[in-house]
Amino acid sequence: MRVLVGGVGYRYLRDNAVGLYMTDQLSAHATNGTEFEDLGYHPIGFIFNLQERPAYDRIVLVGAVKRGREPGTVTAYRWDRTLPSDKEIQNRVSEAVTGTISLENLLIITEAFGAFPDDVRVVEIEPAEETWGDGLSPVIEAKLTEIEEAIWSSTRP
Amino acid sequence: MCFKNLPIEFDAQGNATLKRNVADPYHYVETPAPTPIEDDPERMRQLVERNGGVRRVDFDPVTRVAGALAFHTVVDLDQREVLETASMATLFRGYEVILKGRDPRDAIFISSRACGVCGGVHATCSALAVEMAFDISPPPMGVVARNLLLSVEYLYDNPIHLGLLAGPDFSEPAVRETNPEIWERAERTRAPGRALHGYEFMSQLMTDLTPLTGKIYLECLHMTRVAREAYVLIGGKYPHPQTVVPGGVSTTIDTSDLNEIMMRVVRFFDYGRKVMAIWNDLIDFFYEVNPKYRDVGTRPANMIEPGQWDDPFAYDARFKSADDWGRQRWAPPGVIVDGELVTTSLHMLNAGVEEFVEHSFYEEWTGNGHGNDYYKFPTDPAGNPLSPYHPWNKETIPKPQGTSWKEKYSWSTAPRWDRLAMETGAYSRIWALAQSGDKDWRGSNYIHPTGHSLQIHLPKAELPNDLIEWHIPETWGAFERNRARAHCILYNAAIAYDNLLLAYDLLRKGGPDAKMSTPYKVPKDFRMGVGLWGAGRGYLTHHLEMDKGVIENYQILTPSTWMASPRDPFGNPGPYEEAVAATPLLENYEKPEDFKGIDILRAIRSFDPCMPCTTHIHTDDRTISREIITCACGSEGPHEH
Repeated sequence: MRVLVGGVGYRYLRDNAVGLYMTDQLSAHATNGTEFEDLGYHPIGFIFNLQERPAYDRIVLVGAVKRGREPGTVTAYRWDRTLPSDKEIQNRVSEAVTGTISLENLLIITEAFGAFPDDVRVVEIEPAEETWGDGLSPVIEAKLTEIEEAIWSSTRP
Repeated sequence: MCFKNLPIEFDAQGNATLKRNVADPYHYVETPAPTPIEDDPERMRQLVERNGGVRRVDFDPVTRVAGALAFHTVVDLDQREVLETASMATLFRGYEVILKGRDPRDAIFISSRACGVCGGVHATCSALAVEMAFDISPPPMGVVARNLLLSVEYLYDNPIHLGLLAGPDFSEPAVRETNPEIWERAERTRAPGRALHGYEFMSQLMTDLTPLTGKIYLECLHMTRVAREAYVLIGGKYPHPQTVVPGGVSTTIDTSDLNEIMMRVVRFFDYGRKVMAIWNDLIDFFYEVNPKYRDVGTRPANMIEPGQWDDPFAYDARFKSADDWGRQRWAPPGVIVDGELVTTSLHMLNAGVEEFVEHSFYEEWTGNGHGNDYYKFPTDPAGNPLSPYHPWNKETIPKPQGTSWKEKYSWSTAPRWDRLAMETGAYSRIWALAQSGDKDWRGSNYIHPTGHSLQIHLPKAELPNDLIEWHIPETWGAFERNRARAHCILYNAAIAYDNLLLAYDLLRKGGPDAKMSTPYKVPKDFRMGVGLWGAGRGYLTHHLEMDKGVIENYQILTPSTWMASPRDPFGNPGPYEEAVAATPLLENYEKPEDFKGIDILRAIRSFDPCMPCTTHIHTDDRTISREIITCACGSEGPHEH
């Protein structure tokens, strides 16, 4: 099974970098067809990159998403692939090509252009701090083992 | 004499000095902003009595622009006019604050993050400021590599605006919804540019501008890939390059790299011709349907352009010689007032810049307009006078507060040149070059300015070689901004081609000119520098002051800061505000609730707004967030996984 684990986020916005941090850390442990990659760039570029490669069986996206949960909450799920309206997708494409990086935009745009494999998993982390700066907040630092466990769980057949 | 409003005069040798015997030369008395209609019951009563079509229409956010822009209007739907406008930058960043106290080399990589499109030009502008402060200059090949990097960056930037951001406003769904009578006419109007773009009828062209499904939209997405591929061959990554350093570029280039870039640049000769033909046909068709479309987004042709793409044998990174190397750029600097080029001097361009914050969420740094007695830099390093409101004298002091259309309503400052609101864009550089003529210019194998137009001699690609000509338009407005931007794709490609040939030549000759960068040491004494290099969207400067090896002050001034600006203290609106106020409402609506504001949106989008660049300020307790619409459904097990 070929699995791509992609970290999504901004490097200088504290917990927004957690996805990138995780893929940086885990890339040394890539084995048996499981690849780790920084996907902190815009989804159109990601789609083109996917088209160049042999198909993946599963893609796992990891990143911070603010939904108002307890900071540090780790949520892993198989994405239901529900897309918003065409107008909303169009707005997300406009954001993407002008530099917005977000896990949600990556999901919506990659799905809208039909580039995902059937199996898409997400590991979301509720951020505690998203202001400018290097390094993760103590809340997220304390959750790194749990996040790693959630990622590995998401890669298993 | 290029200044009419600033207290600067010139001696017999042409040197700029402050006017003599003026006690407080840069002092001004603030002109109160007009009272917003909603706060003026008597005016509101009169307007409502006149007709019932007066409405407040706010666009918040303005979509299909980069970043967060809100635009407030009061419109008279009966008279089909815009009565009141206010442009509001709503996003918070903070590079000026973030960079204080850091190693100046960090600025190259950090300031690149100011924008997700033009990170490369922020990085380069920063490298220019740093190398001026370090007193080092790149070898010719380092300059050529930068030129290549930033000509292909603009081959990404200009097309995405036309194809993905502005284009949908002219697509079948938008036109059918807002002006069905134009759609009907498009169905029976033949497209004159069919030989280049392939569409027989205007309606077919509009159908293919449709977002997500239209062939023009999808081809544009594809061409972003081609430009990015060329870019990363030198930059390593897009949009934040890893190889831009003070004194050049920290990578190597061989013939194979140049060939790879060449293969991609050449594709833009054909694609650019197609885009140009599409926009020529669209614009001429709309003008034919209704000549009032010429007035959408119109304003005086006041423009500012610092220039870019240095002559590798003229650029020495020194401020004192900036007038000389500036004029040798492939895109020379220029300030245009009422359509006429008033200066090509980088010194005068720089000396004329001021930023005001009367209507912005900042504190005034000179002491509420009375701080002219003392300020850090009364002159630049070449001895030209500087205002206390100049970026080298500016401090960024954020002051978040409630929004008032009469008082403070934006995180953008109000930059002015000679106290005039200026716009800037890909078009300002071809306008400046077209008017500067050949006399001081370095020359190009493919570009020829005539004084009133710009000719581009395109080499053969799949299409045969061709002569393309962009003419300075008689009326300046939204449609002409887009037409000029479409021509700039070819202009960018021609400059990339010029530089590719130069790079081959430098490689062939070898020696010190073919080196990529110059070694340096970080100085520990006080230094200042400025990077002056237009982005794909226009004017960009980074002003730097450093001491003891770290940054003391850093100021970024971007294209959209100029254009999204709120009112200035002299009572003048910013360019978006001015352009929308002049826009006739040509949309077809019967009831107020049908009004979509398409003409207003076309006017705003024609400037190619980039708000992440505009609001590069910082407050500790503000974060950027947006509503999440996907569902985290189906989470499993303990800890929700």
